[in-house]
Amino acid sequence: MPTPEEFRALLEDDFGVSEWSEKQPPLIEAVDHHRLAEVLKERGYTLYVFVVASHRPGVEGAEDALTAAGYIELATGLRSPTENSQLAIWRVRVGLDEQLATLVDLFAGADWQEREQFDLVGVRFAGHPDPRRLMLPEDWEGHPLRRDYAINTPHPPWR
Amino acid sequence: MAVDESDRNYEHPLYSMPGLSVAATSVDKLLTWGATNSLWVFAMATSCCGIELMATAASRVDADRMGTIIRGTPRQCDVMVVAGTITVKMAPRVLKLWEQMPEPKWCIAMGSCAISGDFYRDIYSVIPGIDTAIPVDVYIPGCPPNPEQLMAGLIRLQEKVRAVRGGEWAPKDERPETEAMQKTAPSIPRLLSAERSPDVTLAQLLGAGNLGLGGALNRAADAPPLAAPQETSDAITTQAPTETSEGAVESPSEDEHADA
Repeated sequence: MPTPEEFRALLEDDFGVSEWSEKQPPLIEAVDHHRLAEVLKERGYTLYVFVVASHRPGVEGAEDALTAAGYIELATGLRSPTENSQLAIWRVRVGLDEQLATLVDLFAGADWQEREQFDLVGVRFAGHPDPRRLMLPEDWEGHPLRRDYAINTPHPPWR
Repeated sequence: MAVDESDRNYEHPLYSMPGLSVAATSVDKLLTWGATNSLWVFAMATSCCGIELMATAASRVDADRMGTIIRGTPRQCDVMVVAGTITVKMAPRVLKLWEQMPEPKWCIAMGSCAISGDFYRDIYSVIPGIDTAIPVDVYIPGCPPNPEQLMAGLIRLQEKVRAVRGGEWAPKDERPETEAMQKTAPSIPRLLSAERSPDVTLAQLLGAGNLGLGGALNRAADAPPLAAPQETSDAITTQAPTETSEGAVESPSEDEHADA
């Protein structure tokens, strides 16, 4: 199936996406994250390309509860290596104390990428087989790519 | 810190015998010649300075012509060239490798990252210069320094080794320090600076999983004793779980180093 039109039709029909932007990938519900990856994998998107998370701090007085408390936004990209190498990207929003379903059971390549996002941004992946830090030392506290993390936080006795 | 030197004997028995001092001096000169011309380098290369370090060993500059050979294991080396940015995760490994090198050993901080952390110095994961963890003999500024500068640094180290072995006092290498660097002084004081607490050195050695010689070296005379020997071994075993969880990733590479 993998064409941009069919990807769009799938999201509109099965995942309730109605807003489309030229600049941003479609936003789906966090509970549909794993199901969408499963459907796409069946339809030929078998290569896990990336997951990128970024922290959005809470906005005071926002109507949306998620926006008021702050959340983490993830973009996941899958590629179809056989069918003209189409790329499918979608976004999800996860609360700071919520968990997101892991994709390691579908794509083995998601293992270290999800560990990296947990390490630096602090996304909790539910069902991850090896949820350790990837880059920073194991005794590290906090997640340095969050907006509220002071960049020059000391780490005795080394810095 | 005052060190009690009254019980030290500097008079070697060989020097009291007539004629032997001449022979000993000659042998010592030969040994100095050998030591200065066989500075084997352990390349602690973590980033782009490592490329220049490789270029120094290549044919244009050819560090081999003065016996400076790059070796892959710290146990065969005299000089550690720290070439590149050292992160918080890497620093215990660097210190561990440094402790594995046999005495006498020297350290060259190559490039601005190894000297001060350079523009990464305020970042959460980068240590502000390797001289907060291991003592540096020669600083080579540059970003990265070219092979000729590293060669000049090696020659300066040779002069220093020659002076120390000849019984002269070798002045401490001046650390290049700009105004901007003084404004952002590191939170961990550098080795040999007055503000540095010996507990920092001890914590670093514990973090590196190594309670070698270095643990006792920087202690002030009036500092309380570290721990009784029994307690010290207990401390090491209680440290073990955290170290093994961290060391599980690094142990294969350590074994490689030992086997090489």
